[in-house]
Amino acid sequence: MNSNGAVNRVEEMVQELAADSRLQGLWRNFLTAALADNKEKKQVEQLKDSLSLLFEEIGEQAFTAGLRAMAAKNPSLPVTDLLCTVIQVCGEIRRENEQTINNLRQMLPELATPIIRIWTDMLLVALIGNLDSHWAQNIAERLLDRVSAARAKVVLVDVTGVPMIDTAVGGFLIEMFSAIRFLGTDVILTGIKPEVAHTLVKLGVDFRMVTIARDLEDALRKGIAIVTGEKKKRRQLAWVMTGDKESESGEEIDI
Amino acid sequence: MLHKKVDENLDIDRVFDSPAEDFDVFIRIAREEDIAVARQMAKQLAQEAGFSLADVTKIATAVSELARNIYRYAKQGRIMIKKLLDDREGPYLEIIASDNGPGIAEIDLVMTRGYTTYERSLGIGLSGVKRLMDTFAIYSEVGRGTVVITGKRRRKF
Amino acid sequence: MKKLISKARVVPVICLGDFLLVPIQIDLDDRTVGLLQQQVLEEIESTRARAVILDVRMVDVIDSYISYTISETAAMARLMGCRTVLCGIQPPVALTLAQMGVMLQDIAVARDLEHALLIAGSQSGVG
Ligand SMILES: Nc1ncnc2c1ncn2[C@@H]1O[C@H](COP(=O)(O)OP(=O)(O)OP(=O)(O)O)[C@@H](O)[C@H]1O
Ligand SMILES: [Mg+2]
Repeated sequence: MNSNGAVNRVEEMVQELAADSRLQGLWRNFLTAALADNKEKKQVEQLKDSLSLLFEEIGEQAFTAGLRAMAAKNPSLPVTDLLCTVIQVCGEIRRENEQTINNLRQMLPELATPIIRIWTDMLLVALIGNLDSHWAQNIAERLLDRVSAARAKVVLVDVTGVPMIDTAVGGFLIEMFSAIRFLGTDVILTGIKPEVAHTLVKLGVDFRMVTIARDLEDALRKGIAIVTGEKKKRRQLAWVMTGDKESESGEEIDI
Repeated sequence: MLHKKVDENLDIDRVFDSPAEDFDVFIRIAREEDIAVARQMAKQLAQEAGFSLADVTKIATAVSELARNIYRYAKQGRIMIKKLLDDREGPYLEIIASDNGPGIAEIDLVMTRGYTTYERSLGIGLSGVKRLMDTFAIYSEVGRGTVVITGKRRRKF
Repeated sequence: MKKLISKARVVPVICLGDFLLVPIQIDLDDRTVGLLQQQVLEEIESTRARAVILDVRMVDVIDSYISYTISETAAMARLMGCRTVLCGIQPPVALTLAQMGVMLQDIAVARDLEHALLIAGSQSGVG
């Protein structure tokens, strides 16, 4: 059916719908794809692209006005079919957008919560925004994987960017901290504002399992002390295990 | 989240007699070894459903707790797991633990952290399952048995 | 004279100076956990170890019963003058234990074997 007649009819309509050659092109793409009998993949793509572009350029209102005018002038135009196609395409565009939003949402915590190796064997994570349950679990999982892979000795957690810590958020933090402790890594917490400290005490959330630091500088100093302290102990241990065996074996003979 | 208690509509015997083909995983718990089997099968199913490794571990741990309770307190029972698909929300795993054992007289009491009637235990099994999972309901009747229904949704991000 | 040898050896126990290293590689079912406890305590007695290091790198689920047994073993070991260090808890297991609210009493945790030796060897009680 897609004869020359149909092509000419499309051309006529295009001329009436727009004066601008760019808009004419968009309408032309849209109409030829929409009126094609068997829509192949290529045409569906063309339909989607031209429709989104038309919406973007002239808006939904001008688009529907154009359709109305077309229908009035060409009674033979299959308006119902055309509308059904448009609705379908709109649905697809919406789904694609939802997918994009979901993908972005997935990236958001990553972008908002970078985990930085700030010193030898030391990671820094700055929590930002209102933590909800999914977020908190996502961050906790990522942080634990990093701590484990990097064999970090200390993690500095800065909560300056967390505006409110209620029992729920306090609970997430406690869980995350004790999980880090289960890996054998120390946690240094900093950035608790006075009003947050106030609510925490009232709610009965205490962070006993972590070291608290006044500010980031203090946290860093405490962290470095832990890292170097362990290094020293490590040297002592090596010395004990290789050099100083006599007294120990003497003890064993006694018994 | 409150744990649900006795539900008039839930028939413990009917749950217990659910046909195996309704589930992706169906394990009779009667011996100690069955606990490890239930744990392993739950783990595999959760992995296939695309849960994060942490959530896979949480689900396997929850199943371990429920299976052990069955073995310990009811001697035998079933663990049944179903994967429910939902376009909008993503997959959801539902775990049903059911037994025809002695039942529980005071649900609130056994849901309390640290409460136990068993000598060598922490008493954190049921409260732990509730924390690890997204939904939790327990039904029990003395002399008839116990049903725990709990589920976890795959996190979107 | 031969010392007491455990009837059921479920894990290979390695002697490292004053320390006992117990790499746990089996799937921990209930019976095994019980046997493991018994074996570890017997080995502590026969070797007079100062510390026992439980390496749980290969364990993919630690539920309340297993953590209870580990804590109990540690408490018994402490009474025998031996410290317990748990090492190599995997991140998913750590998250699960934390969410369940498990606290491992009488136990120090270490990142890896080297860290575990460090803790086992240090005089002060490290948490
Ligand atoms: N299936 C069941 N049938 C009868 N009683 C049960 C059942 N499950 C649990 N209970 C009762 O509830 C109590 C609490 O169970 P829960 O799993 O929370 O702790 P536990 O089994 O005692 O210890 P843990 O699980 O920490 O090793 C048990 O001690 C038992 O009395
Ligand atoms: Mg239990």
